[in-house]
Amino acid sequence: MKVICDRAALQEATNLTAGVVNPRSPRPQLACIRLTAKREGAGGTLTLAATDAEISLRLTTDEVEVQEEGEALIPADKLRQIVAAQDTDPTLTLETDGEKTTIKGTGSRFLIYGFPPGDFPPIPDFPKPEAAADAFSASSEVFLQLIQRTIFSTARENSRYAINGVLLKRHNKKIEMVATDGRRLALARGTVDPGASKSEGGQCIVPTKALNLAQRLLPTAADKIRIAITDNQIMFAFDDPDSPGGTVLTSNLVEGTFPPYEDVVPRDQDKKATLNVETLSSAVKRAALLTNEESRGVRLAFTGAQDKMLRLSSRAPEMGEAEIEVALDGYEGEGIEIGFNPAFITDALKVVTGNDVVMELKAGNKPGLIKSGNDFLYVVMPVSLQ
Amino acid sequence: MTQASPIQSEIRVLPALVVDQIAAGEVVERPASVVKELLDNAIDAGAGRITVELEKGGIELVRVADDGAGIAPGQLGLAVHPHATSKIRSTEDLDRIATMGFRGEALASIASVSRLSIRSRARGEDGASVIEVEGGSASAVRPDAGPVGTVVTVRNLFFNTPARRKFLKTPTTEQGHCVDLVRALALSHPAIGFVVRCDGRVVLDVPSGQAVRERAFAILGREMETQYVEVHADRFDDARGIALWGLAGLPVLARPTARWQHLFLNGRPIRDRTVQHALREAYRGLIEPGRQPAALLMLEMDPGAVDVNVHPAKAEVRFRDSGMVHKAVYMAVREALRSTDLTAREDAQRFRFEPVVNGGAAATGKSAVGERFAEYFERLVPDAGTKNFDYEGIKRTLEEERAQIERENARLEDERRRIAASAPDAPEGARARTPDMAGQHGLVEMRPGGRILQVHNSFLVTQDDQGMVIIDQHALHERVMYEKISDRLAAGALESQRLLVPEIFEASSARIELLEPLSGLLERLGIDATPAGPHSVSVHAFPTFLFDKKVEPGAFVGELLERAEADGWDRTMEGGSDSAREELLHEIVDMMSCKAAIKAGDRLSEQELDELLAMRERVERSSNCPHGRPTAIRLTIRELERQFGRS
Repeated sequence: MKVICDRAALQEATNLTAGVVNPRSPRPQLACIRLTAKREGAGGTLTLAATDAEISLRLTTDEVEVQEEGEALIPADKLRQIVAAQDTDPTLTLETDGEKTTIKGTGSRFLIYGFPPGDFPPIPDFPKPEAAADAFSASSEVFLQLIQRTIFSTARENSRYAINGVLLKRHNKKIEMVATDGRRLALARGTVDPGASKSEGGQCIVPTKALNLAQRLLPTAADKIRIAITDNQIMFAFDDPDSPGGTVLTSNLVEGTFPPYEDVVPRDQDKKATLNVETLSSAVKRAALLTNEESRGVRLAFTGAQDKMLRLSSRAPEMGEAEIEVALDGYEGEGIEIGFNPAFITDALKVVTGNDVVMELKAGNKPGLIKSGNDFLYVVMPVSLQ
Repeated sequence: MTQASPIQSEIRVLPALVVDQIAAGEVVERPASVVKELLDNAIDAGAGRITVELEKGGIELVRVADDGAGIAPGQLGLAVHPHATSKIRSTEDLDRIATMGFRGEALASIASVSRLSIRSRARGEDGASVIEVEGGSASAVRPDAGPVGTVVTVRNLFFNTPARRKFLKTPTTEQGHCVDLVRALALSHPAIGFVVRCDGRVVLDVPSGQAVRERAFAILGREMETQYVEVHADRFDDARGIALWGLAGLPVLARPTARWQHLFLNGRPIRDRTVQHALREAYRGLIEPGRQPAALLMLEMDPGAVDVNVHPAKAEVRFRDSGMVHKAVYMAVREALRSTDLTAREDAQRFRFEPVVNGGAAATGKSAVGERFAEYFERLVPDAGTKNFDYEGIKRTLEEERAQIERENARLEDERRRIAASAPDAPEGARARTPDMAGQHGLVEMRPGGRILQVHNSFLVTQDDQGMVIIDQHALHERVMYEKISDRLAAGALESQRLLVPEIFEASSARIELLEPLSGLLERLGIDATPAGPHSVSVHAFPTFLFDKKVEPGAFVGELLERAEADGWDRTMEGGSDSAREELLHEIVDMMSCKAAIKAGDRLSEQELDELLAMRERVERSSNCPHGRPTAIRLTIRELERQFGRS
């Protein structure tokens, strides 16, 4: 293999693929990136592939000149460091000789000992729609928003594996993504294009790591991405079907049962506050200044439909107290006091679009509901107040 | 029931000897009881120096010689008569007992079960007199030669009561009891010199005229001076009527039994639950639950405020106002501990750091240090031969300890795995840097003063004005969490986060039933758990800060119920005292802080390191984790210099 690569394009591609690699993998081959150079017409493509045995990513760049086709298997961290360090070079030349790869820049030459490319596990191709249990396509903009609106609510390292991922549920054109860590739940809705899919839809749980990678790949993806789901895997194709190679992310699904989230969304909230997102966010952040590890909660006191005020207060023993007052855009129902973890509120406010949110409440020990339009719902459980 | 009783019963008056022998059973159980009675008498006689001789652990011979006032020849006969005593004259005196012995039955009791002889010369007399008693019958008093003072010789203890003799333990054990007893009395009477000879060998020799502190370390061992903190309460004036001096052992000295506790009331060694409890309370959080602190406490109070005539051996007393005593002890000890840096002090003699050999140290360092720790603690174990032979008690203690060790081992195993998982990073980094530094500077990287080094993501190394301080990050953080949660609890219930969907876990019906009696406790701790069926429990709310530390509600409450069942917490909640319930609350806070704390193997950022150390300064009693293990070890400059051969 011999390729001359645009350094910036190569750096971007190596950074993304190296993100998949588990540097502590017991198999050194899995800590590598596999490079595949192909000549196509006048130019050619370089495909980078990496896997951590759960998730695999294949990424293709055409900003290369392939002088000789071939393959190489190189330790990911070294490749990434070298490409990043040669930052004054417009191009780098990669040439392989057996398991050894030489990277040449201006006035520098690196020889890296790699592994036989055949040692690398096969990376699956994006399946044909008929081979998958479910297949559909979605606007990359919509899909990015679905991820952003849910991923922050996932649990981390919870022994209930199901909630360490995001639930993806499709019914015809409608798609819902749901994430929860047991204390709050985020639900985002959108529409997709089921295309010629033979099924009405289905549901699966996608690992957070895979969606994090997708989140990084989506801004540069084609307008429409394709998604296919098989028994135990989900696959995303980020490029147009007719573009050569293409970027494909494959991930094993999370096994387990997602909590019955429909039952958690409260339906009989009798107090409704309409708030400006900026105002609420700023007020919560200020009240949170005087909280600490043992006294996390911020008290929200809604005065009622008459004066339409919200008084936020916090108190950390031995530290101090804060009191913030803001005016509400609207309020229905009686006054109420309720305590929340301030981070849970600001997390949600970061991902809503539009100027206003509606906060619906029932009682101090019952869940709160935050709504933004019809496509974002957020359930947050209160904390006890002194 | 018309059958005749197997015993031919006819009521009759017992002969005097039998009466004495029965009385002797209460006072004289073993050679140590003899030693005790004779020492009491010698001390009361104003002795300046007392010699105790033992043969075969005192079974063959106990001889106590003093240089006290002595007994006039005319009184010798009376001395061995029951209830003859020079110390009390009327019942009023019983209210104000200031002398060691007082019941007037000691010598007669001993005389009834041994071959006793007394040789005494009272001050002002020309010569000594001797009386011999065998099995209760006394010889005539005859003159003899000898110095001023009294020598009591007791031979062949229990020669005429073979049943009692059979109950004696081996001579080594009996000797241990005797020596312990002399030690105790020597502690409380620093002005008196004591010599103990066992089968001709001197096992204890302390001079007369010592100060209390001097005597204490003469008995405990000179090397223990750095291991104890002095305790004072000179509060004669504040109407408590109690004065206290003592030594409180560093937490590392704590033992499963109260053997290292020496309690004295007005110079008399006592066992007292009130004082023991006050001590344990003062050490709460500093030593593992179930362990007993090492301490020496001398209480002085108005003899009228205490009843010592409760038990023939006078070991137990009854305080008129035990609450006051509890408070005085607790406050004094706690104050002393609070104002002391309890960082375990590494003594050169007992803790040897070997010079680090290039290369080899990294591979073997961990286990070698572990071994040295083990050695260190082994040396602290009390001498063999003087063990408490309460077999059932020891067995119980061992079982408790084993359970504790198993719990701890499981946790350590967890940590080890975590460290192993994070380890590959460290050596690689180290290898990459070392040759470079050696080449350029030939020096180990210097860290500015106050900076902290994290070793193997487990230990922190820093310095203070005395030398180098090594901190166990988990233990320290655990301690910090414990204090924070305890403070928060004092202000009210812990902040609690409700769950979206209750977390359900399986539990036996016995454990589910514990939820009811524990509900008050759980509420204060911010836990809302209810039975969810015959075999499951659901958790509806859980403390906010535990969530933040990724502690899972179901697993935690499950473990809590498991311990509640094993330790019978429901009984404590229903029938226990307020302080027992409070203790339980703190036990759960212990559990919480352990789960919430940084683990060994967790990499800390520079900022986190700074924060943790800053908290160390702020938090009271940060020198031990709530389980009582030390959070930090100090290696003094002096010790480092010694190790490098500079001194």
